[in-house]
Amino acid sequence: MFADNHLVVMRTARPGGLMVAGEIDISNTASVADSLRDGFEDGADPHLDLSRVSFCDVSGIRALVSLALELAPNRRLLVHGLPPQLETVLKVTGWADLPGLELCSCGGDD
Amino acid sequence: MIEPSTARADRFRHEALFYSGRSEFINGTVPFIREGLTAGEPVLVVESLEKIQTLRTALEEDADRVFFADMSAVGANPARIIPAWQDFVTRYGVPGKSLRGIGEPIWSTRTADELAECQRHESLLNVAFGHGRPWLLLCPYDTAALDSAVIDEARRSHEFVVDGGSSRESEHFRGIEACGAPFSVPLRPTPAGIDELTFERDGLRHVRELVRKHSIVVGLDQSKADNLALAANEVATNSIVHGGGRGTVRVWEDAGRVICEVRDRGVFDLPLADREAPGPDPSSPRGLWLANQLCDLLQIRTFHGETAVRLHMRLDPRVNLRVLPGGSNGVDLAH
Repeated sequence: MFADNHLVVMRTARPGGLMVAGEIDISNTASVADSLRDGFEDGADPHLDLSRVSFCDVSGIRALVSLALELAPNRRLLVHGLPPQLETVLKVTGWADLPGLELCSCGGDD
Repeated sequence: MIEPSTARADRFRHEALFYSGRSEFINGTVPFIREGLTAGEPVLVVESLEKIQTLRTALEEDADRVFFADMSAVGANPARIIPAWQDFVTRYGVPGKSLRGIGEPIWSTRTADELAECQRHESLLNVAFGHGRPWLLLCPYDTAALDSAVIDEARRSHEFVVDGGSSRESEHFRGIEACGAPFSVPLRPTPAGIDELTFERDGLRHVRELVRKHSIVVGLDQSKADNLALAANEVATNSIVHGGGRGTVRVWEDAGRVICEVRDRGVFDLPLADREAPGPDPSSPRGLWLANQLCDLLQIRTFHGETAVRLHMRLDPRVNLRVLPGGSNGVDLAH
């Protein structure tokens, strides 16, 4: 769906959703956000697997938070496999409790 | 007996207390605390654990009505002190009532770099609170232990001083506006022969790799190395977004710390940008805030149209000790 030298965005089968693998920084944040926005199916709460994100900066998290806010209040962004580094950024920057962003434990392939 | 500094505040009052010895410290602080308690004002004391114990003993049962916090934790990175006061003022302030604080961020064993940042912090308190709600902040300075230059600077960063027992306006106070002017106190020289990496938007990955690699080589543990790389990434992102689109980065070891310096052609003219807690709005800035929470010290300077940001991370003391096989630890303690 989107790829550059250090990141890919692809579809996942179970649960149906998207996966990001690689590094997110200011050089590709906008493209990642666009491809996620385009890739989420209408209707259901989208699943997003971040377990293979090896780095995500503040701009990347800002984009994820903005996506979650766009979906709220009717839909939630269901995040799988939040890596510890992203958790650090979310916690330290005061984004730990967000409307619309939920850590999913649905038992999919994460 | 030192006379209480002031009966009431109609605006923020930032006052230095010059003391020498335990009894002058007690005489300068205890009446100030008691006066606040009598007026029903919230009182927060951010001091060393030893001084907190001294004050608890002197205040007897009144101590139970005072909030205490350990300055060695709150002020380990001095840029985290203003947010702590902001939190106190926001949480406990009520309209029509003052608050009181005592904060001693400077002690004699602060490193030269920490001292410079503490002095910047003292100046920035005026910018952070000078136009806001009325409250009193008293900053003790130990004249027996501190250099006279440190006391001189306290006269410039505080609008009032208590000296020899009486409170008066400081004629050397530099004023709120000058307190927030870009900071240009010189940084310590960079060691010779340090490699420099120039980066642009597509090269942040190399910045992170450089920081991680150098950090691990000199003995920083993995999680601190990751945090330093993350902080450096945010500072370098600022170079791309606000500092002319590019910058340079260098990493070196100095006195048990890893230091990472990012330089760009920007001018840093938002004096509180690194110590204002981010708001809920996703677009509010978070990079420098994050760096201050992750690193042991930040130094931000603007010189002649160039901005330099240094991030410090202390090495893990256990790694730094270099334990040698056979029980000898390489450090000769038998003098």
